[in-house]
Amino acid sequence: MREQGISVSNRLGLHARAAAKLVQTVQHFQSTVMLISQSREVNAKSIMGVMMLAAGLGTPLTIRADGPDEDAAMAAVIALFERKFDEGG
Amino acid sequence: MRQVLTGAIGARGMALGRARRVQTTDVRIDPTPLANAEVDGELQRLHQALESAREELLALRDKLQGSMAREATEFVDAHSMLLSDPDLLRGLNAMIRDEHMRAGAALKAQRDRLAGVFEAMDDPYLRSRSEDIDQVIGRVQSILARKSSPEERKLASRVGEILVAETIAPGDLASLAGRGLLGAITASGSAYSHSAILARNLNLPMLIGVASALGTIRDNDLVLLDGETGELIVHPAAQDLARYRRWQRATTREGKRLAALANAPTRTHDGVDIRLYANAEQAGDLATARATGASGIGLYRSEFLFLQQKGLPSEDEQFGAYRNLVLGMGGLPVTIRTLDLGADKAGNAGLTVRGEENPALGVRGIRLSLRHPVIFATQLRAILRAASYGPVRILIPMVTQIDEIDAVRTLVDHCARDLRNEGEDPPDNLDIGAMIEVPAAALTVRHLLKHADFLALGTNDLAQYVLATDRNNDALGNLYNPLQPALLRLIHHVISAANHAGKPVCLCGEMAGDPLFTPLLLALGLTDFSMHPGQLLAVRDRIGSLEHARLRRLAPRILRAGSCDEVEAIVRQGMPATA
Repeated sequence: MREQGISVSNRLGLHARAAAKLVQTVQHFQSTVMLISQSREVNAKSIMGVMMLAAGLGTPLTIRADGPDEDAAMAAVIALFERKFDEGG
Repeated sequence: MRQVLTGAIGARGMALGRARRVQTTDVRIDPTPLANAEVDGELQRLHQALESAREELLALRDKLQGSMAREATEFVDAHSMLLSDPDLLRGLNAMIRDEHMRAGAALKAQRDRLAGVFEAMDDPYLRSRSEDIDQVIGRVQSILARKSSPEERKLASRVGEILVAETIAPGDLASLAGRGLLGAITASGSAYSHSAILARNLNLPMLIGVASALGTIRDNDLVLLDGETGELIVHPAAQDLARYRRWQRATTREGKRLAALANAPTRTHDGVDIRLYANAEQAGDLATARATGASGIGLYRSEFLFLQQKGLPSEDEQFGAYRNLVLGMGGLPVTIRTLDLGADKAGNAGLTVRGEENPALGVRGIRLSLRHPVIFATQLRAILRAASYGPVRILIPMVTQIDEIDAVRTLVDHCARDLRNEGEDPPDNLDIGAMIEVPAAALTVRHLLKHADFLALGTNDLAQYVLATDRNNDALGNLYNPLQPALLRLIHHVISAANHAGKPVCLCGEMAGDPLFTPLLLALGLTDFSMHPGQLLAVRDRIGSLEHARLRRLAPRILRAGSCDEVEAIVRQGMPATA
C-alpha cells in the first residue's frame, strides 16, 4: 500500500470534467485507489464519489493506492494532478 | 395574448421561434416490495435499462459533429461514467437484493440520497452537479417505464423551435442544436448546469428557472426568448419583434455570429471566405441547411406553395409558410423568390392563363405576376409580414429589363404602406433582387444593378436561353454543357459588374452544387453559392482544398477559350496535384 499527500491545484477543483479524467486514469489499474479528505474516503474509480468529495482549489488530499500495480497507479494520479487535469490553468 | 415570463440567463442572445414542450413522463414508483422470486428478474431489468441508457448516450455521442462534438463530448462522457459508476451500481444492487426494492424505487432512493449530498455543498458549481444525477437517473427511469409502453422519447427534431422543458441533459441539447434548435427554456436548473455551459459555448440562447414555463406555454406558441434581459415573451407583439430586429441588426453589425454552430466557416485553402447558401422548398431542406451550416437561404422557390394544392394559397397560408422559413433559419437571411411559373404550369396553381405555343418564351416569372397584380400583391404582403420575424430578401424571377424591377418596388412600397395602415409593422427597405437568367438581362446587367439590390444567377435557364437548347432534350445533350464558353463569359460579366457595383451576387443553378464546377466558379470570381442543402458539405470540402489566388489567375484564359474541352484543360491546371 502507498500513500501520498497532494493538494488540488486546478482552478475549478475536482469538478465533473476533472473527476471524469481522474476516473478514466485509474480505471485501468487493478489496484484500488482512494481519495481521502478530512477523514472522508472515496473510491477514485467512482465519478460520483470523486465529485461528492467536493474538493475545491487548495483542498489537501491523501491518495492511497493498494494492489499489484499501486506504484504505477499512484504515479499516474500524481501526474494528472500536476498537469492540472490538462485544463491549462 | 402577450405574456411575459422571467427567468435567469443561462446563455445570452435572442431567439424567436415556435415552442416545443418536452415533458418528462411522470414515472410512477411502485413502492411494494419484491417477492423473493422476483429479485433476480428485477436486477436483470435494471441492468438492461442501464445498458440501454449507455447505448443511447453512445449513439448520441457518435452523432455529434464539429463544434458540437468538441463542446459536448466530455459532458456526455461524464453521464456515461455515472451510468457505470461502481458505487452507484453497488448501492442499487444492494437495495434490490437486500431490501427487495423495485428498480424504479431503488433509482429514486439513490437519486434522493445523492441529491441531498450535492445540495448541501457550498460550491455552487458542485452543488448543481445534482442536475447531472437527475438527468442520468431520469434517462434510466424513462427507459424502465418505456418497457411497458414502447413509445419513444420524443425530442424536438424540427427546426425553428425553442425547447421548453423541466431540464435538459447536455447531450440531448447538443443533439437538438445540431438539428436546428434555436434556444432552450428550462423550468429548473442553474447557470452552472452543464447544459447552460454548453449553451454558452454553442451561442444557443437559454433561459433557466422559468418556473411557470411548462404551465403557461403550449406547443407551437410563438415565443421570443430574450437572453439579454432574462425575459420570455409568449405571443410577442409588434414592439417585441421590433426589439428582436434591432438586436439582430446590432449583432450583425458587431460581426457577432448569430449561431456559431450554423456558421461553420467555408474557406479556400489559401484563406478566402466563401458563402454557401441553401436552396429550399420544404421543411426538410431547412433542417439540412441548418445542420450543414448554410449562411442562409439563397433561393426559396415559392411556386411549390402554389403547386402543392389546388387553388391559390391565401395571404395567411403564405405568411405562415414564409414565417416558418424565417424562424427556421434563426436570423440568417432568407431569399424568397416570387412566383415563377409559365403557361405550362400556371394552370395547376389555380391561375387562368391563355395557352401558349412556346411557354419558355412566354408569360412566365415576373411577366406573369405583373399581369395578376391582386395575386402578386397577396404574395408580397405575405412576404412583408414574414419579414417582421427576421431578415428577408425578395428575388424577382425572369427579369428582362429595368422597368420590371421598378414595378415590383412600387408594388412592395404600396403593400407596406397598406400593412402599416392596418397596424402591421413591416420593415422598411426590403432588399429586392433580380434573377439573371434572360441573356438580355445578363448583357445589360450594369443598368439593372442601378435598380436591383442584389443579383442571383439562374444558370439553368440562362444556359438554355443562351444556347437555345432545352436541357431535357436528349438529342441535344452535347450542347447543354455548363462549360460552354458563351455561358461562362456571361456569368463572368455578371459577377464582375456586381462586384464593381458593390452588390452581392449569388449563383443558384445546378452547377453551384456540383463540386466538379467549384474550381471553375471560383476562377470566375464567385463568392456566394446557393445549392441543394444536401450538396453543401461536399462543396465546402472541395473549396477547402482549392487555392483561390491560383484559380483567379486563370480567368483571362478561361474567357478566351473556344471550346468546353479547352475550358476543362485550363481549369485542371489550377487544381492541386492530388485533386
